[in-house]
Amino acid sequence: MKRWMTLAISILVVMSLLIGCSSQSSNSKSEDGKTTITFFHRWPNEPYKSYYKQVIAEFEKQNPDINVEEVTALNDDYKQKANVILGSKNPPDIFFSWVGEYGEKFIRDGVALDLSEYYAADTGWSGQLIESQVEHFKKDGKVYGVPLFTDSKLFFYNKEVFDKLNLKAPTTWDEFITVLETLKGSGTTPLILGNKSPWAAAHYVTALNQRTVPGEVLDKDFSYQGAEFTDPGYVEALEKLNELKPYLNENPNASAHDETRNLFIGGKAGVILLETLEISFLDDAPFEWSSFKVPTIEGAKGDQEGIIGAPEGFMVTKKSAHPEEAMKFLKFLTSKANGEKLIKDTGFASTVQGAVNEDTASEQEVKAMDMIIEAGDMLIWADSALDSRVFKPYGDGVQAMLGGTMTPEEVMKSVQEAAKQVKK
Amino acid sequence: MRRTRIIPLLYIAPALLMLSLFVYYPLVRNLVNGFYEWNPFTLDRSFVSIENYTRLFKDPVFYTVLKNNLFYAVISVVLQVGLGLVIAAILEDKLFRRFSTFFRTSFFIPVLISMTVIGILFSFIYNPEVGLLNSFLRAIGLGEWAEGWLGNPKTAIFAVIFVSQWQSIGYAVMLFVLAVQKVPGELYEAATIDGAGKLRTFFSITVPQVKEMTFVLLIYTVTGSFLVFSEVYVLTSGGPANSSQVFSTYLYQKAFIDSEPGFASSIANVILGITLIFYFVQNKVLKTGEE
Repeated sequence: MKRWMTLAISILVVMSLLIGCSSQSSNSKSEDGKTTITFFHRWPNEPYKSYYKQVIAEFEKQNPDINVEEVTALNDDYKQKANVILGSKNPPDIFFSWVGEYGEKFIRDGVALDLSEYYAADTGWSGQLIESQVEHFKKDGKVYGVPLFTDSKLFFYNKEVFDKLNLKAPTTWDEFITVLETLKGSGTTPLILGNKSPWAAAHYVTALNQRTVPGEVLDKDFSYQGAEFTDPGYVEALEKLNELKPYLNENPNASAHDETRNLFIGGKAGVILLETLEISFLDDAPFEWSSFKVPTIEGAKGDQEGIIGAPEGFMVTKKSAHPEEAMKFLKFLTSKANGEKLIKDTGFASTVQGAVNEDTASEQEVKAMDMIIEAGDMLIWADSALDSRVFKPYGDGVQAMLGGTMTPEEVMKSVQEAAKQVKK
Repeated sequence: MRRTRIIPLLYIAPALLMLSLFVYYPLVRNLVNGFYEWNPFTLDRSFVSIENYTRLFKDPVFYTVLKNNLFYAVISVVLQVGLGLVIAAILEDKLFRRFSTFFRTSFFIPVLISMTVIGILFSFIYNPEVGLLNSFLRAIGLGEWAEGWLGNPKTAIFAVIFVSQWQSIGYAVMLFVLAVQKVPGELYEAATIDGAGKLRTFFSITVPQVKEMTFVLLIYTVTGSFLVFSEVYVLTSGGPANSSQVFSTYLYQKAFIDSEPGFASSIANVILGITLIFYFVQNKVLKTGEE
C-alpha cells in the first residue's frame, strides 16, 4: 500500500512539472486594474539601462494605471531573441528596430502596427520629431515606427599628429591618400579598422558605394526584391577600399571595433571611422581631435556630398492588446524633455527637434547633428539595409578581400548570386 | 507476477516520458521540418521536398564546415584521447606519483571554467596588437610569426581548436587516470618481472586495459567536436568569411540571423546523421560496449 502511495506521489510531482512547463499566463491585465505593456529593447548595459529605468519610473508615476515591463537583449542577441519572441503568440507590445530591410520585414510580414493615425492625431508631438528621420520608418505612405535617435559616420583624426605633420583634413580622395601616406612616413598607423564583425568595413563600403554608384541604382539594389548589384560602381568602391589597405593596421579582421576605438583614443592611430554617437567616448582622448566627411571621389558617378547613417527606434506589434498605452509610452519617450535627457545621459542624438543643443551636448555632437539635419536623407548602412542573406556574403567577402584572399570582382559576384537566390 | 512486471516499467516511465517529450518528439518534428521552408513571423509553411538538402550540398560553406569539424574531430582525438592517455600513464607512473595530485588538479581546472570566460580570455591572448601571444613571440625574436590569429582565414579555426584542447584535455586525463588506477597491479609486476620496459608496459598493458574508457572517450570527443558551438561563437562567430564556421554556428546563423528555420532544420538533420554514423562505425570497429 505504502509503495503505491510513493508511486502516486512521484507521478503527481512529474505531472505538475509538465503542467508548470505548459501553462503560462497570457493575461496582461493584472488584478489591481493596471495595464501592463512589455517593452523589448536592446540596452541591458549602462548608461542606457539607467536612462530607461528613470524614464519608465517617471512615466509610471504620471500614469499610475500603466505598468511598463522591460525585456532586453544586447545587439546580436537581440536579433536572435527578436526572431523568436516576435514570431510567438504573445509578442511584446513595443519592440526596438533598425531601419532598412531589418525593419521592413516586420512591416511586410505584418508584425508592425500602422501608426499613421497616431501621428495624425497628435501633431503637437509628431511635429516636433525630425521629419527626415521619421521618413525611414515609412512604407507606402504609412508610418510604422517612432525614431528614438539618429546616427551617422565620420572620419575622426588626431589633430595633434596632423598639426605636427602640417596636415589638413582632406576633402578629396587624392588628398586623403596623400594624408595617409604622410602619416605612414611618420611611423604612426595611419588608419585603424576593427573588422572582426564585418559590419565595420561594411560601413566603409556603404560610404564608398554612395560616392561611386548613382543614387537611383542604389535605391533599386537596396529594395527588397530589386537587388542585383551589377553596377560597376560597386567594384570601384571595393577597389577604393583596397587602396586603403597599405595604410590600415596589420590585421583588421582580428580586432574588434571597440578595441580599435580605444587604440585611437590611446593615440595609437591617426584616423578612424566612427559613428557620431561614439563622440561621447572621445571625451576621454588626451589630445585634440576633429572630424571630416568621407572624401569625394573625382569622376565617380555617385553622390559626392551625401552621408551615411540611419535612425533607430521602436515599433508597436500588431498583436498588441494595448496599442494606445504603448503609443502613450513612446510619445513620452520622445518628448523634448526626454530627448534632451537622452543625449545628456547616453550621448545618443535624439531625433526630437532641438534636443541636441549647446546645453545638452558637446560642440562636436551639435555639429554632427546639424550635418545630419542639413543632409536630410542618409544612405542606410549595408548591414541593416540589406537582407541578412545578401549582407552575409557581402560582409564576409570584404573581410576576405582585406585578408587578401578575394578580389573586388569575386566579392561582387558572390553578392550578385546571393541576391538572385533571395529573389527566388 | 503481473505486479512485478509493471513496477519496473513505472519506474522508467517518468524518464521515458521526459525523453520522448523533449528529445524524440522534437527530433521527429525536426526531420519533418527539414522538408519545409517558412518565415518565423508568418508561419506559412510551404513544402519544398528535398530542396533544402540539395541546396545544402551545393553550398560551398557546407564543405568548409565539414572540413572544420573533421579537423576538430581528428585533432581532438589525437590530443585528448591519445595525448590524454599518455599524460595519464605518466601521472600514474611510480616516479610521478608524488606530484600526480598537483598535475591532475592543474590539468582539470580549465574544465571547470565556463567556455564563455575562456573564450574572452583567449581573445585577449590572441589580440594582434596588444595580445599576450604576439607580444611573447616578439619578445623571443619570432616577431615574423606574429599573426592576427583569429582574423586570418588560415589560422582562425586552428586557434579555436587549440582553445578547446586546452580546456578539455584535463577531462580526458582525469578519466584515464581512473581507468589506469583500475588496472590490476599484478599485471604491471608480472611485466616488470618479464623484463618489459616502460614503453612496452604502456602499449601491452595500459592501452588494452583501458580500452573501454578509450571507447567512451572516443565517442565523447568525436560527437563533441561535431556539436562544438560556444568556442567558435565566442571567439570568431564563424568568421572571417566563414573560414571558422562549424555545423552548430552555421545552423545558428541560418536559423536565428537569416531567418531560414527550414534550411537550419536540414543542417541539424545532417549533423544528426553524421554523429549517428560515427557512433555505429565506432561501435562496430571497436566491438565493445559490453561493460
